[in-house]
Amino acid sequence: MRVELATLLDELARRHARGEPLDVEGLLAHAGDRSDELAPMIETFLVRAPRRTASAQTLAYVRALDDPPILRARVAKALRVDDVVDAIVAACTIQPDARPKVRRYYQQLEGGVLDPAPVAASVWDAISALLGRSRESLTVPHAGVPSASPMYRADRSFEPGDVPALAEKLVEPEPPDEVDALFLGESPKA
Amino acid sequence: MRDARDAEDKRLLETGEIDLLLAGWVETIRGLCVAKMRGAVGEDVAQAVCERLWKELKAGKHRDGKHPFRVIVHSVIGWVCKGWYEPGWQESELFDLDGAAPDESDLVVIEVTLEQFVATLPPSDGAVAELYYLDGLEPGEIAERVDKNPNTVYQAISRNKKRLQEWLEA
Repeated sequence: MRVELATLLDELARRHARGEPLDVEGLLAHAGDRSDELAPMIETFLVRAPRRTASAQTLAYVRALDDPPILRARVAKALRVDDVVDAIVAACTIQPDARPKVRRYYQQLEGGVLDPAPVAASVWDAISALLGRSRESLTVPHAGVPSASPMYRADRSFEPGDVPALAEKLVEPEPPDEVDALFLGESPKA
Repeated sequence: MRDARDAEDKRLLETGEIDLLLAGWVETIRGLCVAKMRGAVGEDVAQAVCERLWKELKAGKHRDGKHPFRVIVHSVIGWVCKGWYEPGWQESELFDLDGAAPDESDLVVIEVTLEQFVATLPPSDGAVAELYYLDGLEPGEIAERVDKNPNTVYQAISRNKKRLQEWLEA
């Protein structure tokens, strides 16, 4: 059945007038092989249409433009941190007991604390699929941790072993595991 | 050409309500970018457009009112869409607030509006189109408002639907 472009344009105009999301992607999908005919008409309509009043959703979107892109994309999809963590754990087949560690890393990544560059492609694929955004649009160049100038000069370095209570609790750091490898690019322990 | 949309944009710029200003454009930006890019990548492009406009507004640009904000919006959309696939473009030019503005000759001038389309229609169909396309009323509400039979309103909507397509194709 031939798609009626007039009906799709009418739908666009109605959504615009009612202040609803326009879902142009959905309209183009409905147009099928006539999407190349429809797209320029949608452009023309939107250039000529009246300015819309800001909705609560678009206002929230703008006010969040200063937030890190992953956080913004997650909030826009009304997802919880745990939803994203679940997606990563499932997609990367991570053991359930490593989930808290994945959550910590994800929160660092979302907050812009963790350098996104070494994060594994499989993690990004899971995040991108869930948030509906490309990796490029979810990342900003990592600024690194700002360094502070030293304020005091000590006569000698502090050693935790100097304090008996701390010395008892000193443990060797865990070697990198599969979760570290996924988020930091380090090799997991054998 | 100035149009009715510019007055509200100008007021919001003058009062510093830049979040409300940009929020009123977000859906239009998304729709245009998806249409221009022919698919989901348009969402990423729209995000870049919004980020650029937001940074410029926060930096106090466009407050001089030299160009209507709608002209700036459409110019930035065209500029970002055009350069989206050029290597390195996003890193260099997109977020350089101190760099040169888009060429004046690239600025989009919009001469035709949806209101003008409605004004070209025969009076009775135009009254229906105004309530349907500009005010977003349902056919039943329009029938009450114009004191016409609902069937008459549906016929007017059907005629206007074809005219809308012709107007957008022209």
